[in-house]
Amino acid sequence: MKNIFVSFIYTILVRPWLTFIIGVSFHNIKPLKDANQFIIVANHNSHFDTVSIMAALPSNKRKNTCAVASGDYFGKSPFTVTLMKLFFNAILITKKTKPGHLSNLELLDQRIKEGKSLIMYPEGSRGNPGTISSFKKGIAKLLKENPSVPFIPVYLDGFGRVLPKNKILIVPLICKVRFGSPLFATTNDTKTTLEEVKKEILNLKQKNERDRNQFDFY
Amino acid sequence: MDIFGYYIPIELLFILCVIFGVLIICSSIFGFISLMNKSDSVSELVVRTNSWWKIAIGITVVATAPAIIGTIVLAYVVFVALREMLSIIPLRTADRIVLVASYFAIPIQFYLAYKNYYYLFQIFIPLVMFVCVSIILVLTGETNRIGRSMAIIPTILILTVYMPSHMVLLFHVNVPEFTVGAGGLIVFLIIITASNDIFQFTWGKLLGKRKILPKISPNKTWAGFIGGVITSSLLGIVLSFLTPLNYIECFYVGLSLGIIGFIGDSIISAVKRDLKIKDTDDLIPGHGGAMDRLDSIVLTTPAFYYLLIFFIEN
Repeated sequence: MKNIFVSFIYTILVRPWLTFIIGVSFHNIKPLKDANQFIIVANHNSHFDTVSIMAALPSNKRKNTCAVASGDYFGKSPFTVTLMKLFFNAILITKKTKPGHLSNLELLDQRIKEGKSLIMYPEGSRGNPGTISSFKKGIAKLLKENPSVPFIPVYLDGFGRVLPKNKILIVPLICKVRFGSPLFATTNDTKTTLEEVKKEILNLKQKNERDRNQFDFY
Repeated sequence: MDIFGYYIPIELLFILCVIFGVLIICSSIFGFISLMNKSDSVSELVVRTNSWWKIAIGITVVATAPAIIGTIVLAYVVFVALREMLSIIPLRTADRIVLVASYFAIPIQFYLAYKNYYYLFQIFIPLVMFVCVSIILVLTGETNRIGRSMAIIPTILILTVYMPSHMVLLFHVNVPEFTVGAGGLIVFLIIITASNDIFQFTWGKLLGKRKILPKISPNKTWAGFIGGVITSSLLGIVLSFLTPLNYIECFYVGLSLGIIGFIGDSIISAVKRDLKIKDTDDLIPGHGGAMDRLDSIVLTTPAFYYLLIFFIEN
């Protein structure tokens, strides 16, 4: 019942609102249909990032996909926690874990072993619009622990202008969600894996800029 | 002529049949060629033709449906164009609130046009929105590069909202003994402008040698410009049955629309060149963004409206 309600909201409200009013376009979403389990790795500029990635997923994948979010930020009120859990299946992680609880990495690893897919922002914070800051190691460690799970690089363009950090006004402006194809980490070395992941996202960014100049106009 | 109890003038029905006939011929020819020859240029032609089908269906809706539906469709198209222009031009974070205000100008402007409040329609964007944009920018308190935003945002509003909104005024053009109605005027305007673009491109490819604006666009040549303007003028005469004007007046309208369409095209080309982009977006496959397609029609719409009014009244 919950799943039907959530996918109804996404298909009837969120997705049309994103495409027709805000101006989000989704590119290369076909590989998502074939992938069973994956870790989506994206650059992070806005709260809209998670909404758009979730809206792009096919509904049978969406119910198995969890967004990894900061418990320090979203965990303040029970209302936001409920919303985050309902619409994004959020896994809230905190900087300081309580003694006796699983550490963040163990928690995420456990979710992957349960068959869940994850959405992760290795930059950690939303940062300044249009810039990609340095990546944190967690994603590489997860990929090392679970070699059978591919990562899907995603480049998000323009969301930092629609709803930047510390702003509440939403401005409709063109933005793009560009998915890459599922890839497996080639080495066991976390540092190399991290560089690979970052390179894939930067490749998508380049492709995004190149695509604008593709056609001749008359 | 009545179709399912719905009245469509016979001239309008005829021209819509011609449009879709041309599209069917183009689609079958390109489809046939692409079966044998799978090169990129052929598949791009197929993609472009498919987009023309969607545009033609949109035009049919605007031209035949009641004025309220046409107004809403046009307002949405203008919203998409404005969103595109505001997205490609780098603006400051402090300008975001003004961008929201500019989006709200669209429903107001189109409501004024729909209700035919002519003077309010005329002053709303050049006067009211100009002052609103400036005062909101002042109230944000961020003075660094404020003059640039004060200049850019009203200009974009005039170009993408005020100018195309004149198309809604065509619904109110009332001439005795003219039975085709606003649908015919809108189709006339769009066909002349679109075919002017296409013929300028085609003549340029066939005969073009000397570039007319070498620093702005490498595709625009003197031969293309002159050929396109002559073709539009002749097409204006051929399509004069869609307007209340006579042959000579239609010739002048075609001539002006040809020249003004070229100007609109060049303005957007120059802006794109400045921003180092080739297309404003990739919304319409094969054509680029909405503004790539609307670049000439934003300028020809007010020109056509005022020429029409001038010829009707004199």
